[in-house]
Amino acid sequence: MKQDRLIARFALEHSNSFEIITLFDGKVQREKLDKDNPVLKSISSRYTTATWFERKIRDDFDIKIVNAYDNRPLIHHERFPSVALMKKEFMNNEIKFSEYKPYKYESVKGDGVFEVAVGPIHAGIIEPGHFQFSQEGERILHLEVRHFYTYRGIEKVLEGKTLMEAKKMIERISGNESIAYQLAWFDIVMQASQNGYDEKLKKYHCMLLEFERLIHHLTDIGFIPNDAGFGAALSFASMLAEDTRVFLKELCGHRFGFGAVSFDVKDYDKDKIVEFLDDLDSRVRWFEDWIVDIPSLWDRLDTTGVLTAQKAQKYGVVGVVARSSGVKIDRRDGDFYKKYGFVLQSEEIGDVASRFKLRIKEIYNSISMVRNFIDSTCRVDKPIGFKDGEYTSFVESSIGEIFMFIKLKNGFIERFYARDPSFINWQALYLMMEKDIIADFPLINKSCDLSYAGSDL
Amino acid sequence: MIKFWKKRAENSIATRHLKFDKDLEEIKKELKSKIGKKFAGSLAIRMVSSGSCNACEAECNALLNPYYDLERLGIHFVASPRHADAMLLSGVVGVNMYHHILDAYHQMPQPAYIITLGDCPLLEGTFEKSVAIKGAKSLDLPIFHHIAGCPPEPKEIIEGLLTFLKHLP
Repeated sequence: MKQDRLIARFALEHSNSFEIITLFDGKVQREKLDKDNPVLKSISSRYTTATWFERKIRDDFDIKIVNAYDNRPLIHHERFPSVALMKKEFMNNEIKFSEYKPYKYESVKGDGVFEVAVGPIHAGIIEPGHFQFSQEGERILHLEVRHFYTYRGIEKVLEGKTLMEAKKMIERISGNESIAYQLAWFDIVMQASQNGYDEKLKKYHCMLLEFERLIHHLTDIGFIPNDAGFGAALSFASMLAEDTRVFLKELCGHRFGFGAVSFDVKDYDKDKIVEFLDDLDSRVRWFEDWIVDIPSLWDRLDTTGVLTAQKAQKYGVVGVVARSSGVKIDRRDGDFYKKYGFVLQSEEIGDVASRFKLRIKEIYNSISMVRNFIDSTCRVDKPIGFKDGEYTSFVESSIGEIFMFIKLKNGFIERFYARDPSFINWQALYLMMEKDIIADFPLINKSCDLSYAGSDL
Repeated sequence: MIKFWKKRAENSIATRHLKFDKDLEEIKKELKSKIGKKFAGSLAIRMVSSGSCNACEAECNALLNPYYDLERLGIHFVASPRHADAMLLSGVVGVNMYHHILDAYHQMPQPAYIITLGDCPLLEGTFEKSVAIKGAKSLDLPIFHHIAGCPPEPKEIIEGLLTFLKHLP
């Protein structure tokens, strides 16, 4: 039976009740809970990825979850005191560390089965996160992903700020998806101020978003072969990524696009963009032509880390990972983007090779879209007032679908919630390890290239 | 692979930003001689992210690309704090990373230097001290050097490392 895709499940606090909002693809469920004794019935037996959402709700609001198969804390780590940070009544600006409480990892028991703990500080230049493997020799039996080391409490900090004040923090939720988060924010600003989204401005913003996607994908097509031991690809592709980043800085003033999405279009040289894109396009084509001819590399990439379409659908994965498995979901799949040359790219098999090939395909598509987004400068007025209410926005970042929810009350943010695509995809990562050895893990992990900071908030 | 070597023969050195390359060459020369004197030719850095937005990490990764190529100057990002001379600390020092940073620091052989990277650790940028954000000062560890920026660009990181080396006793 085909089930709806779970997008997000999160809690809202009212003066005398809690409200749980569960968002599916195409429908919303709202459920009121008693404030004195809040009890929520778990849906994790049907929607597996609801597990992290519910564990987060419990940690944040101290809401009891019944019928859940996983009752461990998610954000509350070993020395995190048992306080419900997100409750309105919690006003402290500091928390004191509590006694060390051990965390019980999921593990497989048996003769000769051993565990490998990796993280939170990793061997490379990467964000913190923990992976616990149950191993039978080289073969991975099970993997548990444990994150939230980069937890910064952004949801709490943003409460009480105005939409404009919140911008700087929202763009720093996840550095490699910064422009996508800014677009989600901008979309909500436009909804709340009831201004129309100027087409020229939208084209400029979408162009920046495609640049961000280009940089992310270019970095990845270098790092994936590098994790399979083919360093030359990284040298070449990181050069392409660096060039694109330098160009992005020329275009909007910042290498990551921080502060780039605003109410006016900076003047840019159209010919220079075209020239740059031509050059980039030819170099990516050379790269593709070169790399398809390296059999020892494809021996590593093919059949490694397979995520079948059926499992991808069951877990509701999004973005590059979903499209590589043949699940055709993309938030850009609409009239606006199609008008400017968007074609939904997908692969069938769902292994590392598919994700690698999909990224190359998306690079070509992004290049042709940027060409079509080139337009003259424009300027719109800054909105003056914002209407109170609940606003949602979706943006397809370089990883996948970002969902953002903002509730405004008296002009200030009453509740901010953002679900990064990584939050869903991390939960499906272990599915890809079924037939692989531990040495393939970095390769599989990199082929998904998920954000730690985005999912931890 | 023949294609690759052919391409290499065609355009051997990547020179895209001439002015920039020139500046960088100067810095690199100085950097190399300093590292030669103070760290016997090899400076080992352990990069620790303590709740950053991953832009600082992306910039550190960019340091290894052919344009900057720190490794040839003798600067290595190492996998273990036990191999490190200095810790490059990025991020806001969140509650869940606090003790892990202390653990990593205490594993480093002395003298161990802490270099904070980006505006986050000293809470100079967007993020302020708040319920889940502690800041690097709360660690009570000696912070030897600071590289500012949000995120600092690769060139700024290289310059920052040079100043770090100059300040060393």
